[in-house]
Amino acid sequence: MTASALTRPGERDRLSVKITQIDWRLLVLLCAIAGMGAAMLYSVAKGSWEPWAAKHLIRFAICLVIMLGLSMVNLKWWFHLAYPVYFLALLMLAAIEIPGLGYTAMGATRWLNLGVTRIQPSEIMKIALVLALARWYHGATANEARFHWKLIFPVLLIGAPFALVAHQPDLGSAMLLGLTGAAIMFAAGLSWKVIVAAGGAAVAGVWPFIQFVMHDYQRNRVLTFLHPEADPSGEGYQIMQSKIAMGSGGLLGKGFGLGSQSQLEFLPERHTDFIFAAVSEEFGFVGSFGMLLCYLGVILIALRIASLSHSHFGRLATAGVTATFALYVLINGAMVMGLAPVVGVPMPLMSNGGTVMLTVMIGFGLVMATRVHRYVELPKGHGLF
Amino acid sequence: MSSEPSIFFSDVNERQGSFLRRTFVLGGLTGLGVLGLTARLGQLQVVQAQEYTTLATANQFNFRLVPPPRGIIRDRDGVIIAGNRPSFRVLVVRDETKDLDQTLDLLGQLIPDTLERRRGIIRDVNAAPRFSPVPVKSDLSWEEFAKVNLYANELPGVMADMHETRFYPHGGAFAHVVGYVAKVSDRDIKAVRDKGEEPSPLLYNPGFRIGRQGVEAALDEQLRGEAGGQRVEVDARGRVVGEDPENSRPAVPGKEVVLTLDADIQNRALEVFGEESGGCVVMDVRNGDILAMVSAPSFDPNLFVSGVPSNIYRAWADYERRPLLDKAIYGTFPPGSTFKMTTALALLDAGIDPKERVVCTGGYFFGNRTFRCWKRGGHGAMDMHNAIKNSCDTYFYHLCNRAGIDRIARVAEDLGFGHTYEIGIAGQSKGTVPSTKWKREYTEATSWDDDPTWYPGETLSVAIGQGALSVSALQLAVMASRLANGRKAVQPRLIRSVDGQPYTEAKFPDLPFSDEHLDIVRAGMAAVANDRTGTAYRASQLGLGDILMAGKTGTAQSRDYKAGESRGPRNAVWSRRDHALFVAFAPHDAPRYAIALIIQHAPAGGAADAAPKAREVMRVALLKDPDMRARIERPLPPEPESGPIEDEGAAPPPPEPTAAAPEPTPAEPTPVAPQDQTGPQPYLSEPQ
Repeated sequence: MTASALTRPGERDRLSVKITQIDWRLLVLLCAIAGMGAAMLYSVAKGSWEPWAAKHLIRFAICLVIMLGLSMVNLKWWFHLAYPVYFLALLMLAAIEIPGLGYTAMGATRWLNLGVTRIQPSEIMKIALVLALARWYHGATANEARFHWKLIFPVLLIGAPFALVAHQPDLGSAMLLGLTGAAIMFAAGLSWKVIVAAGGAAVAGVWPFIQFVMHDYQRNRVLTFLHPEADPSGEGYQIMQSKIAMGSGGLLGKGFGLGSQSQLEFLPERHTDFIFAAVSEEFGFVGSFGMLLCYLGVILIALRIASLSHSHFGRLATAGVTATFALYVLINGAMVMGLAPVVGVPMPLMSNGGTVMLTVMIGFGLVMATRVHRYVELPKGHGLF
Repeated sequence: MSSEPSIFFSDVNERQGSFLRRTFVLGGLTGLGVLGLTARLGQLQVVQAQEYTTLATANQFNFRLVPPPRGIIRDRDGVIIAGNRPSFRVLVVRDETKDLDQTLDLLGQLIPDTLERRRGIIRDVNAAPRFSPVPVKSDLSWEEFAKVNLYANELPGVMADMHETRFYPHGGAFAHVVGYVAKVSDRDIKAVRDKGEEPSPLLYNPGFRIGRQGVEAALDEQLRGEAGGQRVEVDARGRVVGEDPENSRPAVPGKEVVLTLDADIQNRALEVFGEESGGCVVMDVRNGDILAMVSAPSFDPNLFVSGVPSNIYRAWADYERRPLLDKAIYGTFPPGSTFKMTTALALLDAGIDPKERVVCTGGYFFGNRTFRCWKRGGHGAMDMHNAIKNSCDTYFYHLCNRAGIDRIARVAEDLGFGHTYEIGIAGQSKGTVPSTKWKREYTEATSWDDDPTWYPGETLSVAIGQGALSVSALQLAVMASRLANGRKAVQPRLIRSVDGQPYTEAKFPDLPFSDEHLDIVRAGMAAVANDRTGTAYRASQLGLGDILMAGKTGTAQSRDYKAGESRGPRNAVWSRRDHALFVAFAPHDAPRYAIALIIQHAPAGGAADAAPKAREVMRVALLKDPDMRARIERPLPPEPESGPIEDEGAAPPPPEPTAAAPEPTPAEPTPVAPQDQTGPQPYLSEPQ
């Protein structure tokens, strides 16, 4: 609990010092991605700020302020609030199941009705799960993290929200939660033997999962992904049109606002899940590769921040947020390129939609807080607070 | 808040070291993922870019087929026989509708009668290829058209447009010869494929119609024109957002076809049939132009354009008078006495003196049976002129074997029987001209009669136009034209020009008959129509001054009569009555027009039924000819052959035949003879 010998006590807690600790490269990259998103939303609205682009920018500005605000919050507060936030989020997920409290749209009950507004607890859970797991591992030994009966706790922490979200049903979010949890367990030092065994079990379980657990529309998505030509006007249509948009963009693209697939509305969901295909069409291989590099840059910088943290909590929380972000990017990318089934996973910071942006920016608030407070020492132990 | 240090430094370091290694792996995995995505991007955007660009262009641009207007068919004066008229229609594209049922509900509120046909519409729409518009109703009123357009936004997948539809202003008059157009069927597509060609996309156009019969079918290719293409930019919902005139090309209209037919004569010819069934052909004897070619009863070809309601089609198909059959060129009938000119020419050809007389006592005993003349009491002594005038069967029975069946057959073929003609449309029957060769081949081909020998008794039947002989109305008209022309073996011609280019060049061979012989036959025909004792005297008076007709009546049995059976023509069942025929040309002194008219199962005989009808048609043909008009309007020389005026009266049929009247009822092979002796003789009672 001693501060670094290089600094005077209390010096690091001063706001002016904290602000200098913000990672500007990360900030610039995030702004660039969001700016590109706004430009594409402007383009796919046929050169109009309405209905998406302007709102996207305003929303990002608000989220940016929130992120910067959160980055000033001492890591110990994140640490202390980890379990309470997790259980609150779990409570809300459970509350959805109570008739009258859950709000149903498009066949899925994903929203919690609070009277004045509706919130999506699965989004809160994405941050809360990361915090809770980081908190748990913070108190665990290397051996316990490797292979120990106590690992039942992190598995439960992951399993409970996974089950509730999958039941909504929201396969995309459930998958993100599960994979994020797995990534944290991996980063915390899970034994390779367990990893191999779990991986094997997962592969073996894919078929029964598709056959017995999935809803019809979900199964159709998977089947369509495997045989897109079988249904060229329905589910397969989206994948096909997305590939046409990307492929026809060629090396350098058709030019800003000139993509026929996105401008003439052949590209489905071009303002949300398929916005990356619009980028590819209008800016070509060069543009879309550049976007991927931006995302990769964000991910690597965030992992670097994780590795710099003095606290295990900070490391794992940052790694978890990064994993979530990376999963968003990779899954969405694979989906629009026809490498994965159409699951409703947006491209973070580019796709139109407030909830995911808020989640991601809160996540980066945590990352930034880890960076700013990388020297903070956190208490050990298994207490709840 | 807990906390004594429960973890040793070594453990902390171990945790941190492990985390760093694992983070490195995670970063590597992410990098790999991004690399994988990049590779996929490269595959899509660099390797397959061309392919996807093509697909994107296919999405973005549509070639809209611009259907060509079908060529117009005109008569010899330019009157439109088959034209096009604008029509508003509403179309449905299944894959653009959100919910077909709901869309049809809405459409039903705008156009109520689509509700009644709803099941059929759903079947059509579902049978159509994806994204191809299916016409749901044509001939919308302006109000309906405007309504559909007004509600276009609430009716995705429904559109209304204006197109051209085929129109036959004369209704049934040209139904058989000009034919009609109808929807393209799978069989049409298959026929094109069988020829090894790829069906033109035009065939799949919802408004396109293909020629199905007559001229429409025969000249379909010329009438069809060439489809144009309009390159338009469309959005995902198929709405046109832009046009590309540089890459569009206009449709080439179908070629105009001019026929030799005359709408006035044709209309009159159908009219005179009334309820009766039969065929009529009018020809110009100088050049073979067919001025009228009618089959009665007829049908309305306009109904085929939008699709014949099945109940109407059934009614047509089931009606015993067969409106759908072409009785002018497809149906064949025994010619009866109208064949006697042929026999007479054969007799002359055989060197028989036309002055030679045969005494008719009402029949002729030959072999072991009596061949009866139509006139029970007999005609008395007959030379050739009188035998034609009176249609005396006995005369021909008596002399025919001196000419022989093969000579008769040769003359018949020279006069035009037993052939089909290059008139440009399909569906002609050859008919049958019996000869010894024919019988040999016929018996070889059928097991009906094993004896291939021709018996002289059979010649007797053929000589009076019965037996196995069968001819079409067109062939009878050709015969009359050739007799009238005298010099050239005129060939019938139906299509005058296509796109202004003459369709066929008329080059006729010479007729192998001497003027002398022809004059005898023609004089006989003139006497039939103009001698007071001719078989068709009263029915043949044109009332056009000194323009007179020369003709020949015929009454042909449609079946065998059993011994002692009364044919009772007036009250017999329709299908058991005799056919009535009449052939004629006019003016008899300088022939221009020839006509042949057949009434299937007529109530009376050729003179009573067919001749007055033919006269009416002939009058129209003559009155339309300016030379004839000039001749009629010229003051008459003071000695007309007869007083035709009191006989005039177009509307009421002449109070012709009483039982006592000179009613021609030819050839009654007495049923005394055993059937096998006459050879293959069942008369083709039904045109098949």
